[in-house]
Amino acid sequence: MHSLPAQPVVQLRHVSKEYYRDKLRIPVLADTSLDIPAGEFVAVMGPSGSGKSTLLNLCAGLDRPTTGTIVVAGQDLGELSESQLTRWRSEHLGFIFQLYNLMPVLTAFENVELPLLLTNLSRRERARHVETALRIVGLEDRMHHYPRQLSGGQEQRVAIARAIVTDPVLLLADEPTGNLDAVAAVEVLDLLAQLNAEFGKTIVMVTHDPRAARRAHRILHLEKGRFEEADIEAIERGRSSGGDGERRRSPRAPSAEIAG
Amino acid sequence: MDKLGDGLRELVTGPDRWLNLGLLAGGFMVLALLTLAARALLRIPLKYTLRSLRARWVSSLMTLFGAALVVWASVLAFGLAAGLDHTLQVSSDPLDLLALRKGATAETSSIIEESLARQIATLPGIATNQRGQPLCSPELVVVVNKPRRTGGGHANVLVRGVTPVARELRPNFRLIAGRLPRTGLREAMTSPSMAGRFYGCRLGESLEVWGSQFRIVGLFTCGESAAESEVWTDLKVLGQTSKRPNLLSSVQLRAASPSAMAVLKDRLVNDEQFALKAVTEAEYFAEQAVAGLAIKIVGRIISFFLTIGACFAVANTMFGAVASRAREIGTLRALGFSRSNILAAFLIESLVLAMLGGLLGCLATLPLNGLSTGTANWQTFSEITFAFRFGPKVLLQGAALSVLMGLIGGMLPALRAVLMNTVEALREV
Ligand SMILES: Nc1ncnc2c1ncn2[C@@H]1O[C@H](COP(=O)(O)OP(=O)(O)OP(=O)(O)O)[C@@H](O)[C@H]1O
Ligand SMILES: [Mg+2]
Repeated sequence: MHSLPAQPVVQLRHVSKEYYRDKLRIPVLADTSLDIPAGEFVAVMGPSGSGKSTLLNLCAGLDRPTTGTIVVAGQDLGELSESQLTRWRSEHLGFIFQLYNLMPVLTAFENVELPLLLTNLSRRERARHVETALRIVGLEDRMHHYPRQLSGGQEQRVAIARAIVTDPVLLLADEPTGNLDAVAAVEVLDLLAQLNAEFGKTIVMVTHDPRAARRAHRILHLEKGRFEEADIEAIERGRSSGGDGERRRSPRAPSAEIAG
Repeated sequence: MDKLGDGLRELVTGPDRWLNLGLLAGGFMVLALLTLAARALLRIPLKYTLRSLRARWVSSLMTLFGAALVVWASVLAFGLAAGLDHTLQVSSDPLDLLALRKGATAETSSIIEESLARQIATLPGIATNQRGQPLCSPELVVVVNKPRRTGGGHANVLVRGVTPVARELRPNFRLIAGRLPRTGLREAMTSPSMAGRFYGCRLGESLEVWGSQFRIVGLFTCGESAAESEVWTDLKVLGQTSKRPNLLSSVQLRAASPSAMAVLKDRLVNDEQFALKAVTEAEYFAEQAVAGLAIKIVGRIISFFLTIGACFAVANTMFGAVASRAREIGTLRALGFSRSNILAAFLIESLVLAMLGGLLGCLATLPLNGLSTGTANWQTFSEITFAFRFGPKVLLQGAALSVLMGLIGGMLPALRAVLMNTVEALREV
């Protein structure tokens, strides 16, 4: 399919991140190093508050590490100014959110077109890209629907189309199935696996769901500010005995429309 | 609706049409250029802005109407001031002189012997008409109290006795209906706006002055000057009727040149034979315009405070918009839109809001265009008729006001959107 270049897509070197709230130091990541090679599909698990979202935000350049360096797609993020980071993000990253984060006043087509408005593509080229992206996620017939006219699973697929429309090297997904019922979750996971396998997208997916994590090549477990390669079997065992302490944020009730 | 059409028609067919159209074209060009410049900043599509406004249509509409009301009231105030300015200035030829009794501040309180006027007419330096007659007009004014046609009550009307030369001193004089009053008869003429405002002033009606009936035989316009607030009749007849034979209120004359004007003025004021007060028309009306000044000042003050209020309304709506769309803003940032993109989008949003309101406010004033009203002239206590004038200047003032409201009201909320921490904005539910 494709050859893995020597340079990993994501490279964390001795990264630490701490927040301060009312002079109280909140350490989140502690001296973390991590390589994610191109083409890999990685799941990140860990208890709530362990810093999974923070990790994604750091990789996206939305937040800066307290110490250490982060290199993404060959670019040391610490070298970029904020406005450069913004531009870089629009060119290299696709972001997928737990709550989809579509603009409610824009149609599926217009939502997917948004990132392309930052490029110099003509209107016709943009339309072609948007249609391709929507076809990949299987929603070309829902192009002119507004988010409120779509099911949660469909909304998330539109959001995925928006994330891939600029053909980024890296997809960052923060609990993409966290708000979906089982059927819709499987559809979204299938889609992510397909993007990884067919289009070679490197994917970092945060999830609380071991079944979702199993779809990845590799599972990283974040706990007390450090990573460890997780043994999925162990997690599943822990889950069945009800002792892993994880929670899902406001799970969505299964809805009949998705199953159809 | 008719009035609206008339207002629009006057904008494109009235005497100022080239200025109006020029300003409109210029405005559009500036707007087009600004749009091009804004395109760089405006990566976030306009439809996002417009539909977001529509999504919160209740608060958008309320703010829009608020802005419309403020612009409407301000444009009315500006239009009132402009109309008054126009009325008081339009007639003054820089070579025109008005001779009054020394110490008089208005024609109504001035008395001049008619014999004096005949002597003035012989002075050198007075311009002459084609027939060689000096442009020197003896005039007598009488104030009568007359019932208003609309709104009830009475108001003072200035009746002016003139000779034919008076018309030559008012180059804008046009007879538009009927005929001129004949010398020696109790006939009079007035303006259409007076005809509409006072009983007895329509063509064919009679106006009672000091117990005598003066038949209105003609209607005239005079470039919207103060003369349009008056009733004109024959000088001799008015003198007899009002029991002031051989007396005048003023003598109007036109100098042949600016230097002749200086000599004439000096002569009229300093020669013991005359010892009059001689002012240019501009000077005279400047003294008269106190009422206008008050209207202007009050209008400006009111529109200033209204505008501040409207800024707060816009700001309030936009703060609400920013707060409720925190996650959308965070998402846009995560997608790669820059801070200036966000700033532009929210500023445009408040501008659209305020400018739509401004447009509505300006449109709502059009039916009033040309509508005449009266204000008491505080020195003669007669009414000066004047029209709201919504020329391009006044409308531009209204437009500028709405842009200002949008920018000032939208700036802080837009800055708040820009300075929002992206990570925290994304955590908002
Ligand atoms: N801006 C901030 N200021 C202070 N503390 C913060 C801030 N952002 C995150 N934190 C803290 O950092 C820690 C990690 O947060 P993060 O959102 O990365 O956790 P998470 O692993 O994504 O949790 P969840 O599974 O609930 O989404 C938490 O303790 C959180 O309270
Ligand atoms: Mg999280």
